[in-house]
Amino acid sequence: MMIHSQATQSDRLLLRIDRINKAYGGVQALQDVSFEVGRGEVHALCGENGAGKSTLIKLLTGVTRPDSGSLVMNQGALPVGNVRGCEAAGIAVLHQESTAFPDLNAIDNIFVGRELRAAGGFLLARDAMRREAAELLEQLGESIDLTVPLGQLPLAQRQMVSMARAMSCQCQLFIMDEPTASLSAQESQKMLMLVNQLKEQGISILYVSHRLEEIFQVADAVTVLRDGQYVATHAVEDLDDRKLIQLMVGRELDELTVRQTISQPKSDETQKPSTLKVDQLSRQGIFQDVSFSIAAGEIVGMAGLVGAGRSEIARAIFGIDSYDEGTVEVNGEILPSGSVARAKHVGMAMVPEDRQHEGLVLPMSVQNNLTLANLRDLQDFGWLSQTRERGQAKRLIADLDIRVTDPRLPVETLSGGNQQKVVIGKWLASMPNLLILDEPTRGVDVAAKAQVHRLIRELADEGMATLMISSELSEILTLSDRILVIHQGRIAAEFEGATATQEQLLHAALVGSAP
Amino acid sequence: MNQPRAVAQFNYWHELVLFGLLIGLLGLAEYLSPGFLSLRGQLYLSRHLWVFAIMALSMTLIIIAGGIDLSVGSAMGLCAVAFGVTFEMTGQLPIAIIACLLTGVLGGLFNGALIARFKLHPLIVTLATYAAFRGMAEGISQGESYSQFGDRFSELSRATLLGIPLPGYLFFVLAVLVGLFLWRTPTGRSIYAIGHSAEAARFSGISVNRIRIGLYTFSGFLAGLATVIYVSRFDTAKADAGRGFELDVITAVVVGGTSIFGGRGTIVGTVLGLLLIHETRQFVGRYWQVDELKSIVVGVLLIVSVLIYQLLVRQRETRSH
Amino acid sequence: MTRNSKTETSAFARITTRREFGLAVLIALITIFVSFFDPRFLDAINLRDILVRCAPTAIVACGMMLVIVTAEIDISVGSLMALTAAAMGIMLSENEWNLSLWIGLPATLMLGTAVGLLTGLLVTVGKVPSIIVTLGLLTALRGFTTLMMGGKNIDGLPPSLQHAAKQGFWGIPLGVWVAACVLVMTLVIIAWTPLGRRIFAFGSSRYAATMCGLSEKPLKLFVFAYTGFLTALATIVDVPRLPTIESGIGLEFELLVVTCVVVGGVSINGGRGTLLGVLLAVVLMTMIRPVLTYLEIGEEAEKWTKAIQGTLIAIAVIGDSLLRRRRRGGPRS
Repeated sequence: MMIHSQATQSDRLLLRIDRINKAYGGVQALQDVSFEVGRGEVHALCGENGAGKSTLIKLLTGVTRPDSGSLVMNQGALPVGNVRGCEAAGIAVLHQESTAFPDLNAIDNIFVGRELRAAGGFLLARDAMRREAAELLEQLGESIDLTVPLGQLPLAQRQMVSMARAMSCQCQLFIMDEPTASLSAQESQKMLMLVNQLKEQGISILYVSHRLEEIFQVADAVTVLRDGQYVATHAVEDLDDRKLIQLMVGRELDELTVRQTISQPKSDETQKPSTLKVDQLSRQGIFQDVSFSIAAGEIVGMAGLVGAGRSEIARAIFGIDSYDEGTVEVNGEILPSGSVARAKHVGMAMVPEDRQHEGLVLPMSVQNNLTLANLRDLQDFGWLSQTRERGQAKRLIADLDIRVTDPRLPVETLSGGNQQKVVIGKWLASMPNLLILDEPTRGVDVAAKAQVHRLIRELADEGMATLMISSELSEILTLSDRILVIHQGRIAAEFEGATATQEQLLHAALVGSAP
Repeated sequence: MNQPRAVAQFNYWHELVLFGLLIGLLGLAEYLSPGFLSLRGQLYLSRHLWVFAIMALSMTLIIIAGGIDLSVGSAMGLCAVAFGVTFEMTGQLPIAIIACLLTGVLGGLFNGALIARFKLHPLIVTLATYAAFRGMAEGISQGESYSQFGDRFSELSRATLLGIPLPGYLFFVLAVLVGLFLWRTPTGRSIYAIGHSAEAARFSGISVNRIRIGLYTFSGFLAGLATVIYVSRFDTAKADAGRGFELDVITAVVVGGTSIFGGRGTIVGTVLGLLLIHETRQFVGRYWQVDELKSIVVGVLLIVSVLIYQLLVRQRETRSH
Repeated sequence: MTRNSKTETSAFARITTRREFGLAVLIALITIFVSFFDPRFLDAINLRDILVRCAPTAIVACGMMLVIVTAEIDISVGSLMALTAAAMGIMLSENEWNLSLWIGLPATLMLGTAVGLLTGLLVTVGKVPSIIVTLGLLTALRGFTTLMMGGKNIDGLPPSLQHAAKQGFWGIPLGVWVAACVLVMTLVIIAWTPLGRRIFAFGSSRYAATMCGLSEKPLKLFVFAYTGFLTALATIVDVPRLPTIESGIGLEFELLVVTCVVVGGVSINGGRGTLLGVLLAVVLMTMIRPVLTYLEIGEEAEKWTKAIQGTLIAIAVIGDSLLRRRRRGGPRS
């Protein structure tokens, strides 16, 4: 049952999202989502990672089109899948990662594509553009050097320019995706004031954010999504922190039962030796003082918001990126920073976040991908043995139940779930004793997901130390023996896997400390 | 979920077509201009062929790995000057040869270091060394040409065994070695991976930088080797050795089926490409007797072969969606 | 987590770290140094000589700059110069077709533009990488040229054209006038037209450009056609200075032009680079040979010209890369 916000009478209705469905490679990103945004309303959009927020934004800005359902703005259907069309219809967006031109100045950034013209349309009306740019920025309370390339300005100012662009578009709906994620407290406050300013001008804001305190400060209504489905819309007065988190998290009974069937709670009287020991790992501006350890057979889950730094920590441990301070120790051996070869040598393996560009070589065959990480083992005096390669591939395909008719087919023809199994399989072939998984079941269908979960558990039972990063709280709770929550680059809290709740995890991820 | 049909994943269409084209061309050439296929006629005309051919081997590896090397021709000039100067100073042939090879290696190492360490664009780096190497050669030699290296040295490139000159055997051995290396060693496999996606290769623990540096160094080494043959054949070592050779080498590699985008290519294809260009050149020269036509044909061949590849590849992609 | 705000850099620091400043200083230093050696360096005649030599390079560099900004390259301009020279020669020479200037010159320009368009089409529609297209054209056009010229050199160009190219108007050769016009025109395109801004936008961030709905085909077609046009123009104003037209004209001209553009601060990786930088680089590069002559280091030194060119590219690009990494500071999100 939907509780409407105050602005849904038709003349005060700006945007209607009606039964939107969108699937990506076998995973339903949005399922039957409907809600409405009123005119001049600040409408917050909340949900965990993977709830469907980014997909919705992509649909509204014309980057992709929905599989079914409609988007109606001002009683007119939005030109779906058409970026310029959506812009013309009055939708503008401020992305987290500024989609600005770093080498152009503020004026160009505001006007490229919609330049003001003079002299019969051939030349630019430079003075007019400069004046308007200055005016817009003044309205936003910024005085920015209009001649400097945007890349040299601080992020807050770059965002101001994006906002100015949106305003110059005569937009009616301004989507703001985590606008304060990288801003200081002062800058954030300023941003919130601007939001109010825009609202006064009659512009509606779709405010996507994890910062609950900001939502309560500035929003009129809040819509919550969970797992691609619509949960509820409430007026902000009817909510508080706890209720909001509860809505985002949903009921927990399901997870508890699943957890019991798969995981056995660890009774750890025997203090097992640590396979991995990370001490005071730091990288300027990304993560700070990260210290933890993982014992053999233990699964440590790493939760946190997107951008909190979890993947960066994992990459630093594995050696893809380097770090500034701290040590990484595996089985007592201290590893040098930035060396994947050394990490592999001591038995580390990593299944990266971006399956398609980091985990797999898409045009290469399934077989070749499965052997890419341990080619050294399959050679005789420098010569790759076809039989051993084929044998390893066959074995992995059977063990992991990879659905492929011929291992010589390019791996890009496989479904997401099977592709992920190839990545995992490739690493298992190198016989690691420490496995790092970054979003192991993202974009994976339900059946394969269950298989992967079972596999992770089995490996742990056989002694594999595992670090699992996931944005899916239920997944983390299902599998982890211990859970670390990362918040803005630091370990905010640590929980026992058997007793933690989604609420606790989400709270720590959002706020930075255990509830 | 799409179940891909298990149609034979035959990846070597390009090489097959090339082979067909080659046979067709030879047939046509012999028909229109009898005597074309006489072995002696063929091999006499191949003054430069072995030089191109040897450098094409390393160029194939580099392009498969997603890079390019525009400086091989200029490297030859520098190696030739090193050879000449060293010979003049010491009078010892072996030392001069070593100097020549060493120069090539150092040049390649320089390229590799700039590209891998500083993460610079291979096109721009090798464009810079294209100028720098040639410039250094010109500067050091001051236009002088060195010669008189002795009859035995000249024989090196002219002596024939069973009608085939020695450099041909050298090329054959190298081609087999490099081909096997590319096909069936861990590093060879890694080269393909790097060409497709350097990031994924890195994530699999492949030392991308080390391999890249190695490839450019190898290219330099082969340039040095090619220079030895070149100098032996023409009996002079000058700074302008190898001028313009990079174009022919790259053309041969690309026509041979190696994708300029990386990740795809074979030594067999390169050999076929070399032969096709070489035979086309000879045919054009013999039949039309117009030298300039050769350049035109080669240039057009290069563009058209990539164009066709693009059209076919794109067609395949749109079909599978 | 707060990112460090960029500290306010002083205006002084901002100017002195710019490529243009470095180039200007370098040119000034060299000029001062050489004129100590031999004051004749600053003679009007000599300066005019240097300017005239700069002209064709500057003209073509205007187009090449835009090509490189869009992350493409054109290494066929030297061969195109030869082709257009031969065509011009055949059309205008009294020993050949002996057409009127009013026909021959526009025809030459059209030829250059047509080849440029062909390049652009192959790159945008045919999706053939520009390095391949222009590499192939480099060979093919040169062959075409030799074919056209039938093995002999062409002379007998209209005296009026030759005079304009060598002496020009009011003491300034045609080439310098035209180069100045081209520079102004290119500046207007870059700074005052939507097309120019979009070219740089595209070079700066392809992703953002697509998000704004910009399409790359018209932009790339334009930059290649423009370069072809400018190459023909450079031929017209420069080749008549020579007594005869040979098939070896423009050999390695493309290297010179690309060097100037890269040294001038234009990056193949982004929408960076100014016309001023390119112009200064052209002056610098063109100065090398005369400077070496004046320094009387002997004929030997001249031979080092190309080595210096190559080294300059390398320094420019390495410096660019280091500076970029230091400025970007920390990594992205």
